[in-house]
Amino acid sequence: MSRKRVPVNMKYQLSNTTSSSDSVLGAVRSFWPLLRHQRAQLVGALVAVVLGSLANLLGPLVIGYTVDQFIETRNFGGVLQAGGVLLVIYIAAAIASYFQTSLMGAVGQRLLFTLRSEIFVKLQSLPLAFFQQNKVGDLISRINNDTDKLNQFFSQGLVQFMSNMFLMVGAAIFLLILNPRLGVAALLPAVVLFFLTQFLSAWIKQANAKSLRAVGGMSAEVSESLENFKLITVFNRRDYFRDRFSEVNEANYQSAISAGIANNTLIPIYGLASNIAQCVVLFYGLMLILQGNLSIGLLVSYVSYVNRFYDPIRQVASIWSTFQVALAGWDRIAEILGLHSDMEVTSTSAKTVAKKTELLRFDHVSFAYDQGKDVLHDISFTLQAGKTYAFVGPTGGGKTTIASLMSRLFDPTKGRVLLEGQDIRSISSQTRTQKIGFILQEPFLFSGTIGENILYGNKEFGQLSPKELEKVLADFGLADLLKRFPHGLDVTVGSKGQSLSLGQQQLIAFIRAVLRKPRLLILDEATANIDTMTEQLLDEILAKLSKETTKVIIAHRFNTIENADEIFFVNAGQVKKAGSLKHAMELLLKEKRGS
Amino acid sequence: MPKTTAHQLASPQANVFALLSRYRTYSIFLILFTILANGLGLLVPRVIAAGIDTFSLTQTVPNSLIWEASAIIAGIFVFSFAQNVLQTFASERVARDLRNELAAKISRQDNSTIEKLTPAVLLTNLTSDIDAIKTFIAQAVAGIVSSLLLIIGSSILLLITDWKLALVVLLIIPIIGIAFRVIFSRVQTLFIKGQEVIDWLNKVINESILGSGLIRILDSQNQENNKFAQANQAATETGMKILGYFSSLIPIITFTGSLAVLAIVVLGGNFVINGEMTLGSFTAFNSYVSILIFPIIMIGFMSNVIARSAASYGRIQAVLQTPDPIEAGTLSADHLQGKIEAKNVSLLLGPKTILKDASFTIKAGTRTALIGPTAAGKTQLLSLLVGLIPPTSGSITFDGKKISEYDRTSLFRRVGMVFQESVVFNMTIRENINFSQDISDEALQKAIQTAELSSFIESLPKGLETVISERGTSLSGGQKQRLMLARALALNPQVLFLDDFTARVDLKTERKILKNVQQNYPDITLISVTQKIASVQDYDQILLLMEGEIIAKGTHQQLLQDSPEYIQMYESQKSTSQYEVSTE
Repeated sequence: MSRKRVPVNMKYQLSNTTSSSDSVLGAVRSFWPLLRHQRAQLVGALVAVVLGSLANLLGPLVIGYTVDQFIETRNFGGVLQAGGVLLVIYIAAAIASYFQTSLMGAVGQRLLFTLRSEIFVKLQSLPLAFFQQNKVGDLISRINNDTDKLNQFFSQGLVQFMSNMFLMVGAAIFLLILNPRLGVAALLPAVVLFFLTQFLSAWIKQANAKSLRAVGGMSAEVSESLENFKLITVFNRRDYFRDRFSEVNEANYQSAISAGIANNTLIPIYGLASNIAQCVVLFYGLMLILQGNLSIGLLVSYVSYVNRFYDPIRQVASIWSTFQVALAGWDRIAEILGLHSDMEVTSTSAKTVAKKTELLRFDHVSFAYDQGKDVLHDISFTLQAGKTYAFVGPTGGGKTTIASLMSRLFDPTKGRVLLEGQDIRSISSQTRTQKIGFILQEPFLFSGTIGENILYGNKEFGQLSPKELEKVLADFGLADLLKRFPHGLDVTVGSKGQSLSLGQQQLIAFIRAVLRKPRLLILDEATANIDTMTEQLLDEILAKLSKETTKVIIAHRFNTIENADEIFFVNAGQVKKAGSLKHAMELLLKEKRGS
Repeated sequence: MPKTTAHQLASPQANVFALLSRYRTYSIFLILFTILANGLGLLVPRVIAAGIDTFSLTQTVPNSLIWEASAIIAGIFVFSFAQNVLQTFASERVARDLRNELAAKISRQDNSTIEKLTPAVLLTNLTSDIDAIKTFIAQAVAGIVSSLLLIIGSSILLLITDWKLALVVLLIIPIIGIAFRVIFSRVQTLFIKGQEVIDWLNKVINESILGSGLIRILDSQNQENNKFAQANQAATETGMKILGYFSSLIPIITFTGSLAVLAIVVLGGNFVINGEMTLGSFTAFNSYVSILIFPIIMIGFMSNVIARSAASYGRIQAVLQTPDPIEAGTLSADHLQGKIEAKNVSLLLGPKTILKDASFTIKAGTRTALIGPTAAGKTQLLSLLVGLIPPTSGSITFDGKKISEYDRTSLFRRVGMVFQESVVFNMTIRENINFSQDISDEALQKAIQTAELSSFIESLPKGLETVISERGTSLSGGQKQRLMLARALALNPQVLFLDDFTARVDLKTERKILKNVQQNYPDITLISVTQKIASVQDYDQILLLMEGEIIAKGTHQQLLQDSPEYIQMYESQKSTSQYEVSTE
């Protein structure tokens, strides 16, 4: 299987087109699992809706009864009794209304929680390639903005939708029973509305999908510019930020207008239908009266009953748009949730017989980013346990790619990487990351203190107090490095490591990696911004690491690689053994840079 | 009443209603269309009644009535359509303008202010906060106008019919008003907290993406998930609390409204029984009250929108009211020679002393190296020299004039800066290099050639027009670094600052680049922060910085004689230099 072509599926780019072909039902079905555990609350809310609606219908009936039976007969005692009944009804209605809002709102809030978590957890399960192909701002927008659209529908729209549907159906039945012929006439415009809504929904959703995409684009632009603001100021391009922003803002405005108009079309149309229905009933009713099939009194009350049907329908008009917005948001969310990592751990393959001393082996490895040309081509080499290896070569030659393959940030396009004789793809991420430490070229700090950053992701020492941490650092021979943090480890740093120099950030990354006691420690230009004297200190620390620890040092500064047992020269996707340091120097100076 | 409530709720931070006065035309027409659409709506029952009345007398319906009905229905449709379209335009206009205003404000700030406000919060301001205001304009304005219209109208009708009963019924208005006030004062802070939680979520997501590589290497996905779950939990809790208030507010309002109906039935019933009121008035009262109650409920729903938007508007106002940095400089730097002088420069960040009493002179057209251990303050000194941050005390001059006297734009046109960390934008290579946009093709080519980027660019199928991915993930560290250099050189600067530029570029390329710079930009004043003594031995001046102090300055030879620290540093690199010497 080693030579078999493994297709690289690095297509993690989230689409920028609308997929509105899915039916509403399909969306709801794919969505249901997220709601399933809230069934009880949903049922509770539904009961509250029904009870509330009943109470609201009951009130006028009681009043009518009171007028006929008590007021007209001047029976004040009866009036008081009726007042008591009304009070009970109103209290019941208030309680039902409380539960409607709180139950349904809670469903919405919990749904929002679940959705955000699901997306975030999904993001965490995706490989690095995903993050290289998508923009920070757009992802933030999907997690915060799009999920909120769903929440809005669930916490505000759905209750109203259900209660209005209930009222509407009730009124429709009432109208049909009272007078079937008039009933059909009254409901006719609603049937037209039904088909019209079906017809317009796709357009409404599409317009909203476009608008949500524009919001994502705007968010991406803001993120990129603000993260790089320092450069913008130095290059006099404050206008750059303004112009680029105003461009995306304008695009956002245009698409938001289209979406807004689409969302607002149904409302006046539903209003129109309601008014037409009243007129139709009026004139058809008058015709029926002429034919002697209807009394004027009945017609008068019938016209007002028509409103009982159309008032809720008009409410549904605006809720329906909220629903379409939610569907469009769901599409964007579902797109992330539907992604699968192509870097899952494969079932354990037969362990190739490897010598005890062999730690890591590249077996005819090729690699290409996306569908581009090979960055690495048919590379094979073996790293022995406990030795120090240097990878040198010109910039852009493929050194970082090799390191990324060693730590399985990517999988090879062809060939395989073996860790202790086992295909690295079949090793659990926990075991793999425990064994392989990789100090990245560009250090990254989370907002928090320096100490927290040092212990980030460390299961063994993660809970240490600052005092205990200092002791552990001393045990690891790292105490001298603390001098490079004259203000202590409790200093708070921002995510871009503001107020810390790049050299200090690299030191943090170094300490973090060493504390994890990896079997293979990869340093990718990891000390590039550290002064040579501190670097000597690091060399001493590295030398004192356990004899088992294999070190891979990627550098172009040669003082860092003097002590290497073996030097590999990497250029233009090829790796060759350089033999001595001097030979490596010659290669570096003579060979043409691949890029 | 609802109007005063709205004012009271918004007063602690900012009054969202004040926004409307800036869009007077929109507001007036929006209100006009709302009134027309709703007013015409009230006529429909009258037309129907007229139709039935005429019919019962004449057994026919006059054509004029049919026309009248059609006209009213068409009118309602047109006006409500216009109202809906207009509120879309108005809300999006307000949102767009506010965003541009915010962006303009942000663009005038110093980098330090942006970091203090934090990008995560600004992102929330530009998206979620403005969204809340948009919803306010789109829903609340028309909603409140139509509700007020109905409340006032029905109140008048009630008062005309029977003022005594009307006064009792209208008692519900102050009761509801109090309920609003009590709940608003609590909910307002919750809405602000809600937006702050969104900032928090933004930050966690942002960091988990920027640090995605590290997370995967440390297998710390669970730790990230926990961080997110914490923020997410806080968001849900805030949401639930807000929900708690509103789910009690709405029943309180409807119940109070119902009490009015109860009062009519009992009191009105009593009046009718006593003969103080006719049954007709009683019936009318009942129907007027039902007109009164719906808009009150409507305002209850709108109150949510208003409270949320007021909180968001307060946050936006806070950013808009950040004072602009004072930039009084007017001096043109067009003829900058490049002489730089620092006199007794100190920098404090909070209680921390970063730089202490640094003084030195850099002659125009010379090359100066700034060396020193990690955390000595090299990068900060560079930031001071470029004018990114002002010194706490002391002065920095260019050609004898203080940095603050120069027009910023003019100065930055003559001063190039290559940062330690690579910053590339999601644009084409050409746009990345020609970031200042006013660069000739010749200058661009010269910069590319000097930065040794020609062969790399040629190797790309689309060459200069290749789009670089966000954060430059498609480029190697050295490629990004060279791109940064080309960007700075393309300005054809008189002064060039390099912050540890050579750290990511291999030796051979570094040599070539430095030679190219000397050849192609012979008069340039070069200030280079570096770790490698070997590459700066022939510089005109070397400044040795340790723990925020310049402890030695001079040429390589001078320092080898005077400075034990320099000698120590030199010795530590000697083994390396030997290889470099061998290749000379």
